[in-house]
Amino acid sequence: MRAALAVFYFRVLGELPYGLTADIAEALRTPDAQRTSSQRRLLRQHYRRQHWEQWDAWERRRQQLQEQLDGIAKQAVRVMVMDDLPERRPTFVLHRGDYQKPLQEVHAGTPAVLPPLPDGPEPARLRLAKWLISPHNPLTARVIVNRHWQMFFGRGLVETAEDFGSQGQRPSHPELLDWLATRLIESGWDIKQLHRDIVLSSAYRQSASVPAEAGELDPENRWWMRGPRYRLPSWMLRDQALAAAGLLSSRFGGPPVKPYQPDGLWAEATFGKIRYQRDTGEALYRRSLYVFWRRIVGPPMFFDAAKRQTCEVRPTRTNTPLQALTEMNETAMVECARAMAQRCLIEGGKTDEERLRYAFRLVTSRWPRREETEILRRRLEDSRRRFQQQPEEARQLLAVGESSRVELGDPIDHAALTVVCNLLLNLDEVLTRE
Amino acid sequence: MVPEDQIRRHVTRRALLARGSVGLGAIALSTLLGREERSLASSSVGLPDLPHFAPKARRVIYLLQNGAPSHVDLFDYKPMLERMHGQQIPDSVVGGKRFSTMTGTQTERPCLQAIARLRQHGESGATVSDFLPHTASIVDKLCFIKSMHTTQVNHAPAITYFLTGDERPGRPSMGAWLSYGLGTENEDLPTFVAMTSRDKEASCGQIFYDYYWGSGFLPTVHQGVKFRGSGDPVLYLSDPPGMARSHRRAMLSDLRALNELHLQEMGDPETATRIAQYEMAYRMQASVPELTDLSTETAATLEMYGPDVTTKGSYAYNCLIARRLAERGCRFIQLMHAGWDQHRNLNTQLEIQCRDTDAPSAALVKDLEQRGLLDDTLVIWGGEFGRTPFLQGKISETQSWGRDHHPYAFTIWMAGGGIKPGITYGESDEFGFNVVRDGVTVHDFQATILHLLGIDHERLTYRFQGRRFRLTDVGGRVITPILA
Repeated sequence: MRAALAVFYFRVLGELPYGLTADIAEALRTPDAQRTSSQRRLLRQHYRRQHWEQWDAWERRRQQLQEQLDGIAKQAVRVMVMDDLPERRPTFVLHRGDYQKPLQEVHAGTPAVLPPLPDGPEPARLRLAKWLISPHNPLTARVIVNRHWQMFFGRGLVETAEDFGSQGQRPSHPELLDWLATRLIESGWDIKQLHRDIVLSSAYRQSASVPAEAGELDPENRWWMRGPRYRLPSWMLRDQALAAAGLLSSRFGGPPVKPYQPDGLWAEATFGKIRYQRDTGEALYRRSLYVFWRRIVGPPMFFDAAKRQTCEVRPTRTNTPLQALTEMNETAMVECARAMAQRCLIEGGKTDEERLRYAFRLVTSRWPRREETEILRRRLEDSRRRFQQQPEEARQLLAVGESSRVELGDPIDHAALTVVCNLLLNLDEVLTRE
Repeated sequence: MVPEDQIRRHVTRRALLARGSVGLGAIALSTLLGREERSLASSSVGLPDLPHFAPKARRVIYLLQNGAPSHVDLFDYKPMLERMHGQQIPDSVVGGKRFSTMTGTQTERPCLQAIARLRQHGESGATVSDFLPHTASIVDKLCFIKSMHTTQVNHAPAITYFLTGDERPGRPSMGAWLSYGLGTENEDLPTFVAMTSRDKEASCGQIFYDYYWGSGFLPTVHQGVKFRGSGDPVLYLSDPPGMARSHRRAMLSDLRALNELHLQEMGDPETATRIAQYEMAYRMQASVPELTDLSTETAATLEMYGPDVTTKGSYAYNCLIARRLAERGCRFIQLMHAGWDQHRNLNTQLEIQCRDTDAPSAALVKDLEQRGLLDDTLVIWGGEFGRTPFLQGKISETQSWGRDHHPYAFTIWMAGGGIKPGITYGESDEFGFNVVRDGVTVHDFQATILHLLGIDHERLTYRFQGRRFRLTDVGGRVITPILA
């Protein structure tokens, strides 16, 4: 539409007799039956322009609205989607992968050991989608069930969650995998039902403590002799700390956010071409899911994360000192300790003991035992003494992070409790799901 | 090693620990446990069957000259280019070869003589540009390979090829393979360190992708740790403001006490790993600042590396840190210096680029030698390809002479760590265009490096997505004539 208008105004300059432009004259000369839609539009506009008083005002208004509409469209997030070409492009096996040496032509299909794609006039992608979720095809459901099992237990029934083929590992419990998969299909792909099945199982509800005989019988816990126990992924650790601190934003959806990150990381990776502009306010406290990811230099606090170069569906869990440094020193983690301490001062009770017990419970979901409380008390009192001697240090620690601090009582107390919370957020029991 | 073996190894260790669970708290205190008991993925001890044979080198310093230095200007002297300066390079030499899009459509390809004079140096008589006087002074310690060639004609794929054995991102970098295979020699510092710098004038623009030091499909514990040019050298190394060092120590002791209680309660050896992990972090907080504290260096040493040596993030600084890392047992030190991509500014930028890198590179070799470290430290200097013997642009536009990417023959040098010093291996044709003798592929280069470290490149594999992968993919042969 805009293009047509532009053409119209442009052509006005080349006027013909009777005030007609060349393209209008052309449109008029064309028999009605043969006129194109743009010619019809041109003539309609020309007529209205000449014989309709309000035309100019309305046309101006229309243009304004159009610009507004374009502005809105420009703001919209663009999403890439896959689509079929109108005409299928021939695809060839390439000799040793060389695109200049095509061999025989190939067509979309499934491997011979699997059922074929259903026939039909629909595009191949749609047929593939239907094939994937056909009730006669248990493979998809097995893969999904295994992925969820992996999420709850730290390891799938098929350990190579990314590979169910002949090169992958065999399932430890094939009947269980098949039973869960069949139930998933029969339930109409009800994921909540699947989760219920998993978490209500006696395997899942076992204690994670390692029984004495486990070393002999099931050292790797392959047969689920005990409950799952594994370190949480780094992005979940961040969410957990934000939640314990009471900082976590529960808002759903929206554009990505840019939380704290050491200065200069992006600039260094891009020779100063791209600089990290961190967000402020609520954006700092949104779930890790929403954190912006630049592929050449990902968010530095997410260790053991998939590298975005190849598809990875199995979590890596390693232990390096760098991870400990992240959990102890990263700005958000320190801020979480500070906010968590504040929360304990407000909600946790009046005495040190009440507050320490409350803090411990916030991150472990259990009350501390006597000896644990004693260690925490020792830490609190020692930290308090240190800060009393160096009040400036207390002030510095309480200044980490953007969130505001409620003035309650002695900042020394707040700072000392912040150290305790920093410790608690780094407990093995807190980093680990058990 | 197949995954089953990995698990078996791990299980044995674990079974042992679990059996003795009565005294686990006590065992957890020992450093032995800190080193031995790690999660399946994070073995710092390397593979049990490695090295395959006695290594000549224990560590590698790779000075990657990002952007591709011009071999015909710096090392590979070709009188023919002088004779035919300004004249079309013969079609018989070019032979329909492909070039980057920058000269791919250029029909005039006049020969361009070297920008500066090249002379012979040392007893070996190696030719080196006048732009590189310091390198020229150590040629008898170096082995020049003048017959390198690659399949890649663009920077990122070519660098990726050199570092990972494949031109596409996703495979482990060489340092990650070594960390996986050989483990660490110093628990308090990273095993694989990457450092980057760029030319001061920012004349070229390739960025450093972090997969250049990535672990690909290997466990992430093997990925290179990027030492930063500003702020903390290692991310999150510093305690938060207001947290004094002694205070952190006290906090960690209580953290440890609580974790030990939990270890007794749950009996999971992973908790012992956690205790060791936090203790290592604390030690790293001390060892990294010690590493970057240059106050112990003599004035003579500092001077050798040139005036930039105290500027954090400069090539000279990184070279000195590389030596300090090598001294402390770091396995693979990957320096990347960008700025060699002289398409249209060879005659203005090459000299500057040489000035910034020449003294530090040579100083590093000399410094290692003086400390007796050169014998078991392999130093590599090289780009991802060379530059065209012909001109990019017009011969009349003398101020913007340059050269395009050239993968068909180029020069690198290696030194120390089991490499024969004072030799030149391989040869390019009289234009420096094609290899005519003893060609070295990227996989050959990698196979040779692994060999020097005591590794049979065909036997260091990792199973991923249904097949075993190795650094050299399906190629590579050890270049035995350059071995000492």
